[in-house]
Amino acid sequence: MTAVNIRIGDGERPIELGPERRAILRRLANVLIPAGEDLPSAVEVGIDAALLDQVLTVRPDLAEPLGHALDDLAETPANEIAARIDSEAELAVVGLVVAGGYLMSQTVADALRYPWQGAKLVRPDDVFEAIEAGLLDAVMERGPIYRLPPDAPQDAVEAFNEAAQA
Amino acid sequence: MTEHIDALIVGAGPAGAVTARELHDAGISVVCLEQGDWPDYSLARSGYPDFELGARRHWNWDPNQRRGAGDYAIDDGESDVTALMYSGVGGSTVLYSGHWERFLPSDFRTRTLDEVGDDWPMSYWNLAPFYDEIESAFVVSGLDGNTAFPEAAPLELPPVPLNRVGRLGAEGLAAKGWHWWPGMNAIATRSVGEMHACGQRTACPFGCPTGAKGSADRTHWRALVRDGVDLRIRSTVEQVVVDAHGRASGVVYVDADGTRHRLSADVVILAANAIGTPRILLNSADGAGIANSTDLVGRRLMMHPFGNAIGIFDEDLESWRGPMGQYLHSLEFYETDRERGFVRGAKWNLLPSGAPLSMMLPGTWGTEPVWGEDFTRLLRERFGRSMIWGVICEDLPDADNRVVLDDRSPQTDGIPGVRIEYRTSPNTLAMMDWHLARVEELLQGMGAKKIIKNPNLRGTGWHLMGTAVMGEDASSSVVDPWGEAHDVENLFVFDGSSFPTSSGVNPTATIAAVALRNARHLVERRAAIRRSA
Repeated sequence: MTAVNIRIGDGERPIELGPERRAILRRLANVLIPAGEDLPSAVEVGIDAALLDQVLTVRPDLAEPLGHALDDLAETPANEIAARIDSEAELAVVGLVVAGGYLMSQTVADALRYPWQGAKLVRPDDVFEAIEAGLLDAVMERGPIYRLPPDAPQDAVEAFNEAAQA
Repeated sequence: MTEHIDALIVGAGPAGAVTARELHDAGISVVCLEQGDWPDYSLARSGYPDFELGARRHWNWDPNQRRGAGDYAIDDGESDVTALMYSGVGGSTVLYSGHWERFLPSDFRTRTLDEVGDDWPMSYWNLAPFYDEIESAFVVSGLDGNTAFPEAAPLELPPVPLNRVGRLGAEGLAAKGWHWWPGMNAIATRSVGEMHACGQRTACPFGCPTGAKGSADRTHWRALVRDGVDLRIRSTVEQVVVDAHGRASGVVYVDADGTRHRLSADVVILAANAIGTPRILLNSADGAGIANSTDLVGRRLMMHPFGNAIGIFDEDLESWRGPMGQYLHSLEFYETDRERGFVRGAKWNLLPSGAPLSMMLPGTWGTEPVWGEDFTRLLRERFGRSMIWGVICEDLPDADNRVVLDDRSPQTDGIPGVRIEYRTSPNTLAMMDWHLARVEELLQGMGAKKIIKNPNLRGTGWHLMGTAVMGEDASSSVVDPWGEAHDVENLFVFDGSSFPTSSGVNPTATIAAVALRNARHLVERRAAIRRSA
């Protein structure tokens, strides 16, 4: 649930993510997400092409920090890329774009058998099946577990004692 | 020309919504000023490939990152925890996960029972009727009879399902003989009124696309506006105006066009959360501050240090699906046992792990490197096969944990941003370690093949409380037990700022219940209000 935040652009400096920068992204993505476990690589699903366009359609605010980060990482040796992205706040955007774009790929979703967050109506019956299976028996047999303050009203004390003895 | 109305509410979150409903229904004219906008649910994209990337922008919990309408700068460089909130209609219920928890009886008596914190000027039983009443309004679902609480009014909606994750968690707790109970959530489990049945899209904290989560914009404000309540969005209150008799007489606010207005009212009710409310109080009187003879405004900030333990299993749990509301909770170790090395306790709740991006970015799921060949391996290992046990620790009030105006920050509509200073106490740190060790023990018993413990996560300050404390004694509190400022007649604080202690559970239920109690009391004594000259 914890969000990883990155520095985002103010949109005041438009930046071009043309072929040169896409080539850098391609090199980085090959290092960050290679193919494995019957899943394609980030480059195979087009992280430097159509997927990047989709990412920037959803998150145009990422274009500027991404462009600067790509410039910064252009000459970084392959074995140092991951460490820099993880440790330098200005470069975290590369990880977000590569992983975020990769996980927007239908090819990847299909390989994961992931139907996005498709709706499925709630079926509360399964709670009652768990109760019927006895999973709450011990809890209910133990009775109340809250503490009564000394100024609890008399009827609350009586209700507590009654529940404890039931 | 200065407008005049009966009651002016600042903030359209849950406290403001509950208050507006109560006052309006009593025939009191109400204006609510909300500095943000209505949530734009066209940006709630769960169910689409761009869900997670978009959510990190539009539904980001951190206003410094989201930068939406009404957001102001919060410098958290001197805080162990980042303050999270939503500025807009519905307030932070727009982003909460809907976990609905009453405070426990002991939470109102920490001084009496454990010699720490302060007792509340009300008991659980004083508040219980208001909890009972408010729960249907927020479409709360759950199972009656929880043994961790006194008996309560029956809930109208059945609990969210357990699914595979919850069933496994319930079996694990039952095997240990530890308390658990199906989750209580402000999530509609069947369509009721204008609310729809939950679609289990794990989107609760990222803009519910279904209209199932009980956020105040949906449960209250749509109907309130239809009923004629004057809700003014993008209206930022600069300061509360105090007349020559020392009574609150209205506010000065700035609208979306940057035009400054003065709005006169018989009473002013602040419900802008425990960061926003002290911000307004401290900025009033042209920055000299009001209601602060005790120097307690902004102090005693409590934020609930939060940690989690993630369990990864071999089996497919379909854990990308489900409500992000809690499947179940455990209060087995909630009450004080001094032999553990700390006082007070924590609540555990079980969640599905959700969509994949959240588990594949560095720093969110432990310290294991994610890039290179590890990426696809970890994705296969985690996705659909993991669960998250959240641990909410009670933090006790400390005057040094505080909110102050930050004159160095960029001003929003003429008001400075804030700086928060917050350090996690040794008691809370010990509590977190102990509880995560128990959760680890639980997960081991459940057969988890890998356990990731994340203590004291930084970006988790959803629960903001304590910065305008209530009490009977005007020398040691900011507002009285009904929310009225000791120093400024007709000025009220109805949000979580007034809480003397924080409990170890989610606070929205109590924020709403306290607001209802206060609002009803205000209606009852309206004839006694001495209007500003």
